[in-house]
Amino acid sequence: MKLLLGLVLGAVFGAVLQLSGASSHTKITNALRLKNLDIIKLILMAIGVGMLGVHLLDLLGLANMKVKELYVLGILLAGAIFGAGFAVSGYCPGTALAAAAEGKPDAWVTIAGGLVGAMTFAFLFPELEEHLLAVGRYGTVTLHGELGIAGIWLAAPLGALCIWLARRLPGGAGMP
Amino acid sequence: MNESTDREPVMPWWAGGIAIGLILTVATGLVQPIGVSTQYVAFDGVWLHAVAPNLAAASPYLAQAAEGRTLATYEFFFVLGIPLGAFCAALATNRFSLRIVPREWSARFGPSPVKRLAGAFFGGFILLFGARFGGGCTSGHMISGVSQLAISSFLFSAALFISAIATARWLYPDRGESR
Repeated sequence: MKLLLGLVLGAVFGAVLQLSGASSHTKITNALRLKNLDIIKLILMAIGVGMLGVHLLDLLGLANMKVKELYVLGILLAGAIFGAGFAVSGYCPGTALAAAAEGKPDAWVTIAGGLVGAMTFAFLFPELEEHLLAVGRYGTVTLHGELGIAGIWLAAPLGALCIWLARRLPGGAGMP
Repeated sequence: MNESTDREPVMPWWAGGIAIGLILTVATGLVQPIGVSTQYVAFDGVWLHAVAPNLAAASPYLAQAAEGRTLATYEFFFVLGIPLGAFCAALATNRFSLRIVPREWSARFGPSPVKRLAGAFFGGFILLFGARFGGGCTSGHMISGVSQLAISSFLFSAALFISAIATARWLYPDRGESR
């Protein structure tokens, strides 16, 4: 049952990525070149809605949160490496899967490269953990946790800010 | 004039964004926030444990990623659903296409498929290396993580965008295009 739920949620996610152009190399590349911000607007909108939704659930005690660990130096390096890969391939790990299913051979190869890259990381992990991941390690910290307040108090204004910014940035068809 | 996938998307940015935000909310309520990149290592781990168990056992990280030695998990099936949904959506809207070299790449680096495939492989390699290093990708860190107000995800996303925009502007410089 849980497998089926995973497959259905994944399929809806994949369909939305495809239908909204998020799996398009052209759309992603032009967003990163700051030529057409639609994908950045889409991500901001997703974060805004997600932030409100997740923290409303949390308010009701219904959210199954899963916060990632903070290790400052490693996270910054990792984000920079990921960003370069994002620009070179023109896909991210999820949109490559969607683009591959649309028939794009370069997305197939991105996935193959990704499997090798993930494998390489797995074997370098003990080294990296000892040296890089130990710098600035703070555990699974959140903004509202550090401030000692309920998440919704930050999520409401920040979520609204993301949605406002998404609408404000220049780009294609506006919201009704 | 454009290849089929360059047409305006069926869903505008705001509808796609709202839909993804709602998928995240439903997933967080029912199971857990969404994520993709962990499943690349899970696949690697299960596969390597099957073909070369001794080699696989040398990496504690891989052994943990392939815990249970099975891909019959909620997380893997979620990731499996992505191409399934995208395939159906592409067929339904007549956007399936086997183009190898994307338009922007071709305009900058020429129409050679070998060059594009080499770039795509290298890009994919550092993409997943970075994702595993940081513990997440666009879905797990940026969308799920920032939505949960995780400090690591804010840092990861900021570094990601600065690096991605700098790399893209270096790879694809504006050459006397209309300013």
